[in-house]
Amino acid sequence: MAPLLLLLPLLLLISSIAPSAMAAPAHTSNWAVLVCTSRYWFNYRHMANTLSIYHTVKRLGIPDDHILLMLADDMACNARNSRPAQVFNNEDHKLNLYGENVEVDYRGYEVTVDNFLRVLTGRHDPAVPRSKRLLSDESSNVLLYMTGHGGDQFIKFQDAEEIQSHDLADAIQQMHQKGRYREILFMVDTCQASTLYSQVYSPGVLAASSSKKGENSYSHHLDMDVGVSVIDRFTYYTLQFLEGVRTDSAATLESLFRVYDPRLLMSNASFRDDLFRRKLDEVRVTEFFGSVMDVKHTPSGYSGFTGDPTRRSDRRRSEGEAKPRREEREATAAAAAAASELEVGAGDEGDWVLGVSCLLIGVTTVLWHKALRTD
Amino acid sequence: MDLPFALAFVLLLTSCYAIDEDFSEELLLRPLPDGNVLAHFHFASTLPPVDHYGVHHRLFPKAIFQLVRKFRIKEMELSFTQGRWNYQRWGVGDPIAQLAAKPVGVELTASLDVPEAEVDSTWGNLTHALSGLFCASINFLESPTTFLEPWFSWRPEANWTGGGGAFDAPGVKRVVKGKKWSKSSRTRYGALPREAVCTENLTPWLKLLPCRDKAGLTTLLDRPTIYSGMYHSQRLIITSGDFDRDEEGTTLEQTLTVVLRKPAVSEGLSSKLQDWTLSGLFGSKLEGKCPLATTSSVYLELEESLAKHLAGDLSKETRINFVDNRVFSLSSAPSRVLASLSGSLLLEYEAGTHSELDLGVTWRAPVDWSPARGRFYTSRYLAGSGNARGSIVISFRANDGPSGDCYSPGIEAVEYVDIMILQMIPWYVRLYGHTLQVSLDGRNVEFWSVVRLMRFTPAEDRKAPAAVEIALRVSIATQAVTLTIQYDKGFLHIDEHPPDANRGFDLPSAVITFPRCRVFKQFQSDDVGHSHILAVVQVVDCFVFPSPSFVFALLLQSQRPMQIYSEVSLMQLATPDFSMPYNVITLTCTVLALYFGSLLNALRRRIGEEERESKEGKKAGLLSQKLKWLRNEKHMRVIKVILVVIIGVAVNHYLSSS
Repeated sequence: MAPLLLLLPLLLLISSIAPSAMAAPAHTSNWAVLVCTSRYWFNYRHMANTLSIYHTVKRLGIPDDHILLMLADDMACNARNSRPAQVFNNEDHKLNLYGENVEVDYRGYEVTVDNFLRVLTGRHDPAVPRSKRLLSDESSNVLLYMTGHGGDQFIKFQDAEEIQSHDLADAIQQMHQKGRYREILFMVDTCQASTLYSQVYSPGVLAASSSKKGENSYSHHLDMDVGVSVIDRFTYYTLQFLEGVRTDSAATLESLFRVYDPRLLMSNASFRDDLFRRKLDEVRVTEFFGSVMDVKHTPSGYSGFTGDPTRRSDRRRSEGEAKPRREEREATAAAAAAASELEVGAGDEGDWVLGVSCLLIGVTTVLWHKALRTD
Repeated sequence: MDLPFALAFVLLLTSCYAIDEDFSEELLLRPLPDGNVLAHFHFASTLPPVDHYGVHHRLFPKAIFQLVRKFRIKEMELSFTQGRWNYQRWGVGDPIAQLAAKPVGVELTASLDVPEAEVDSTWGNLTHALSGLFCASINFLESPTTFLEPWFSWRPEANWTGGGGAFDAPGVKRVVKGKKWSKSSRTRYGALPREAVCTENLTPWLKLLPCRDKAGLTTLLDRPTIYSGMYHSQRLIITSGDFDRDEEGTTLEQTLTVVLRKPAVSEGLSSKLQDWTLSGLFGSKLEGKCPLATTSSVYLELEESLAKHLAGDLSKETRINFVDNRVFSLSSAPSRVLASLSGSLLLEYEAGTHSELDLGVTWRAPVDWSPARGRFYTSRYLAGSGNARGSIVISFRANDGPSGDCYSPGIEAVEYVDIMILQMIPWYVRLYGHTLQVSLDGRNVEFWSVVRLMRFTPAEDRKAPAAVEIALRVSIATQAVTLTIQYDKGFLHIDEHPPDANRGFDLPSAVITFPRCRVFKQFQSDDVGHSHILAVVQVVDCFVFPSPSFVFALLLQSQRPMQIYSEVSLMQLATPDFSMPYNVITLTCTVLALYFGSLLNALRRRIGEEERESKEGKKAGLLSQKLKWLRNEKHMRVIKVILVVIIGVAVNHYLSSS
């Protein structure tokens, strides 16, 4: 009986989602990319931040193979950790975030800007196993959570390299072009966090951050047992809200974004929804933090297993015919885009400055030569 | 034929001849002389030969089977270790210590049954697959700078024992230069000393077991307990038969060795030895066994030097009371006692028969015993100071005390000791081969009088590590052997440094093998019901394929050469100031800005005009009068040229000097 009771909310959730799914094309899978970019023991809280979100999304139903967890250092079994194999995000030590079952996909030296961009864009070495890839498609909702030390338009990886907001924006655009997401919720907990997504220009991206440009993000509290701060404020209040969320909760992102009180955060949490197609009070929190397992039924069986060679060649031929047309269409679209870009480029102020400076350098060189000759 | 008889016959058949997947779980506990407790978990799964791919697996993990098939793994050993095995306090010369002691971090050895040209690429793909499977950065072993091909160290026994002397095999040259010793092996060896080991590595390892951590011995594996121990090593050993005619099947052995700290509560007699129980060590009692396991046993091992204390005052006729004697008392009676020929004892408990097993030892009298330390105490260290050069020293010092179950086949009187050293040195440590020196008992000796065989493959920058394999033969009376080699430290590119470059760089452990010293134990049963030698022999008689229930016992009896891992050395390299490029950029930009700024200023300004303008406003100032001669256009041009040349020369000088 007990399992049935547990399943009941899930069934209710499915039945409640079904009508809305018909109204707007809903996503069919959930993915989470959770990144802690900080190395060294004193950055314990960043790992705790990331693991807290990991714990939450797992609780709300995203399976481990749909979560890409990147942890830049080993805190749980760190020699400085007085409680080995345990990570806490609160000084009450009620919840061991490291638990019995944690799958870290990228860790230590593997957490680099290079690998992070590869995960987003899917451009891996062929040998990289599936567990280390983001195998999302154009109907996947992706939660992208990053925490670490950052600044205006960048976030540091391992205190050795940075990723800039422009690169991140381009990576997301590439994801968009490749059909790797339907909607992205991008959450950043770092100093001047809102600058990190300021350059993003791809549709379907919703972003939330702990602080505005020029502001610091602060840690929440210190654990005297562990000896360092264990969680950041933004993540702390996010979790406080998410603790009340269950798989069947109707809580919306609007209500989540309302919990950030600048007096408690000591910074202004900011959001960006101009690229997002839907209204925030219509988007459930579980659409990003939870998981949907939508199974599609096809009226007929998959023909790939029939082993009929003629049918397969037919399909290939029809694909071959379809291809040139698509390419043609793409080519014309690209040409049009290039033309419009040229027009825009002519009136752009940046180009004007560049032109003038080029001219100046040219003139200088000519003059220099001339002067030397006359001498 | 009546039914019960037929049934019995079928049962007998199935028990003896049925070829099926099998799984066994065993735990060995051993009190260590320093009061800590060694716990060694051993899980074995076997898969009989399968004639087609895609067979349904009942117990054997499919992930491993796919791995074996895809990469054609003949043998593979992967270990994750945290902490350092203390050879002096915990022993070296016994089978368990041999299994337990591994170098810090990740170590991978694999023998692949693929064409020679494909070995390196298959190895690379294998490391990626393992990194996904075990949540570790094993894929760093893909880089050719991190692995090597051992020539001698992992050779089958035949190569060592030919003609009585290990290195006197006919046709083997003493020095091997460039050309390979014999047909190249398809074995690769790699180590990552810096790899962290934690829960995320243990969890996928446990998921390979049929009962995971839900039933049986694995229920004891509480993560915080394991990782707060002094030493922790988790291993995966895969052996599979010939791929073309699969007759041996595939065996997967998973072992986990933990050295648990002695309980903090001090109630024992001696300050060193503490009473312990299973529940005290692991936080829970052992409840039942994994229902899928054929064998589920717990062993308590008493080393021979400890077992001697028991037998000391008891005559041979009197049976030793294991539950309660003058040295210790046990919380429960063993179901069987096995004694090895050398005198160590193995007390067996069936986990299935006890509904709840809470094995415990209470010490009655202070006892002191020493572990089997092996013949030599081995250590490796870096000598010298500064960031430019230094030397690597490997030293062997003779140990006192029992040397362990060391057996040299075919040799009656042991007159000398053979030592085989394998070292993988990263390319940025530039070794000088001519500085290689051996000293015996503090005196330098002629190199080739001691070294029987040597392979020295120099490193290639950013391509391959240096590989050094040296086989030594020294007299049994030797008290100390020291090997020294000098090196220069290389420079790394700025992007080749790890994020924490100032911590230093780890040199992987040297692997030291004593090829003529076989570590093994041979057990005889001491129980009334089992007067014959252990069932191993029976099993071999009726079963081609060794049942895993005895794999453990077999393993203890298997004769493997003694192997020791040296310490991982931490080397400081000349680490650059990583903010230096930014400083250079800032400074260069400043200089360029000054240059272009003043140039533009000089070119654009018309002094004549300015002067006229100022004249119109008021009387000519002192400055304009002084610059009067500049009104001349010829003078003006000369000044401009001089200015441009001076600035240009300054920039050129700055750029060339920096």
